[in-house]
Amino acid sequence: MHLNRHFEDRGSVVLWTVLVITILSLFATEIMRAVAGRFQVGLQTAAWQEALVGAESGIDLAVVELRKSINPQPNNAWSGWTNTPGNGVISHGLTTIPNAGLAGTPMTVEVDVDAPANLIDPSNNWQYYRIRTLGTMPLTGPPRVGFSKEDNALRKLTLLAQRYIDDLFTSETNTPHAARRLEAVVAPLSSFNQAIFSVGSLDLSNQNIVIDGYDSRDPTKSTNGLYDVTKRQNDGNIATDGNLIDAGNAHIYGDVSTNAGTVTGIANITGVQRTDFYQDPIPIGAPNWLSISATPSLVSGTATINANSVLGTSASRYRLSSVSLSGNSTLTIAGNADGSPSYVEIYVTGDISVSGNAQIILGDGVQAKIYFQGNVDISGKGMLNPSNQPADLLLYGIRPIGGASQHVNLSGNGQITAAVYAPDYDVTVSGGGSSGHVFGSVVGKSVTMTGVTNLHYDAALGSAGIINNYEIVSWVEDTR
Amino acid sequence: MIIRGPRLTKGFLLLETLIGLTVFSAISIALLMGFVSLERNYAATGDFATNHSDAVRISDYLALDLRRALSVSSATNSTTITIPSYYDNQGNPQDPQLDGEGGVYYGSQGSSLTIHYYLLNGTIYRQVGGAPAVGIAQNVSDFLFTLTDLGKVVTTKITFSPIFSSAGASQNAIAGTAIYNTTLLRNSRTDISSSVY
Repeated sequence: MHLNRHFEDRGSVVLWTVLVITILSLFATEIMRAVAGRFQVGLQTAAWQEALVGAESGIDLAVVELRKSINPQPNNAWSGWTNTPGNGVISHGLTTIPNAGLAGTPMTVEVDVDAPANLIDPSNNWQYYRIRTLGTMPLTGPPRVGFSKEDNALRKLTLLAQRYIDDLFTSETNTPHAARRLEAVVAPLSSFNQAIFSVGSLDLSNQNIVIDGYDSRDPTKSTNGLYDVTKRQNDGNIATDGNLIDAGNAHIYGDVSTNAGTVTGIANITGVQRTDFYQDPIPIGAPNWLSISATPSLVSGTATINANSVLGTSASRYRLSSVSLSGNSTLTIAGNADGSPSYVEIYVTGDISVSGNAQIILGDGVQAKIYFQGNVDISGKGMLNPSNQPADLLLYGIRPIGGASQHVNLSGNGQITAAVYAPDYDVTVSGGGSSGHVFGSVVGKSVTMTGVTNLHYDAALGSAGIINNYEIVSWVEDTR
Repeated sequence: MIIRGPRLTKGFLLLETLIGLTVFSAISIALLMGFVSLERNYAATGDFATNHSDAVRISDYLALDLRRALSVSSATNSTTITIPSYYDNQGNPQDPQLDGEGGVYYGSQGSSLTIHYYLLNGTIYRQVGGAPAVGIAQNVSDFLFTLTDLGKVVTTKITFSPIFSSAGASQNAIAGTAIYNTTLLRNSRTDISSSVY
């Protein structure tokens, strides 16, 4: 007996099953082909973007070292790098960042920093630095080129052999990776790059103060090097690392910046209000001069200190335990008889006090820097700066030992023309004389203006003082 | 002995044949329509993916140039960006020079390189200086790329018309394709003055 029917049915089922599986497999293959290629391009695109993040991180790493270098010693700047950057001297840094998700192949950040001679500002000899970085990100998956030639032209990837070799970086290999190259130039920033900078609170509420700017170097922005209200500039910027500024309806011809904070009394602000400001102020360390003028070592009555024509010599450097003037006594800082430029640096390890009719007087042509480690209380006739150039009288507050609370009080019945950098001191300016005008810049842990009707910021201070930071002034990507 | 099943000994009635043909036709038509729809959907999906890839590429190109931009001028489907003249005529990087005003330049002072993006005949071109324009996306006549200039920050938006519907893409569908990119301009701009930046 033959049962043919069952055999024919079974054969059909197998045939149909194979046919259906074949068709579905073709579908799946086509879909996988389409999806896998795009997935690969997506991965490569992500790696290309990550390489840029790595390269930009290299710029940050270099700026961190530059910022370290302007801190008081020992600052450990360039530790772990090959050199301290200089003209013709490249400091090379190499950082690898683990990537557990990328087969253990790390992202690589390679940085070269140098200080070309052509990047020295002739006006103050400040050095700009060139930072060149390479960010390298490994590619996962098979080393396949993308679908689109346009993608390949944009995202130049190394797949089988290193795509581009320069004479600068050494960390690239033949393994599949994305690489991005950047070049940035950073410029030094002065400690006096704003009219007022406060680490904490900034209170202008006592008066309807006017804050504006001028540039004593530019005849279109000043007259005979002096402030001229008809040439007023909008760079009377004020800022705080804190989150509150009480502008007290001050007339501010400039920008107002906080650290994610609020500004009250803003009716008369002409510039931009920013909330993304933060600047870590560089502390002032005690001068470690190798030689100084032996006398005087203390000023407690009328005295004269001589400036010197050569900056940085022992004859121009003094260390005083304190300055205390009262009655009619004066401290005269004498310059050259002909009024030619002369320099003096005075380190006061204690307090500075001027009261009664006492006064500190700068001679003609004198450019003075006064470092102080104690409190400063200046009233009486205040400080006379006959050139009316704030850059000629710079006051620096040395970081108090143990973080003690200290202050700077500037008042007096004379006009104040000076710049104060004391980020560890509570600074109160309540002088300005009968006109209430102050010319210069103020940096303090907190800053309070009382009785001051006008603060005029001289943009020339932006090239004076100490270097407080570095900012990127040029940024390009090398797309070869 | 051979036993033959009853089915082998029977034929089909005409009615049965007609019903069978009708059912077969209905199923075939349904399958055909399904396959056509699947094919269209596959094509539309492929087109969407390609367009998306094109949009990402355009966005990346714009961001690449905006990051190093010195100035930006934009209109719908037309954008002009200037960047530093970093390379010399041989394509080698030049050394930076100080401009005396706190800035830096490459090449000769005041020089820059102009990059122009524009849509023409269904292709988006990128032209660098006087060099021939290079197409960076083909068959993209339905693309719109716009820039929102916020000064230090520029936002790019790129949309296209997906083809999932035979009636054409709705505004919502087009809006749904938008790719945004917000780029911080690293250099100080020469076309606007701001004391902040």
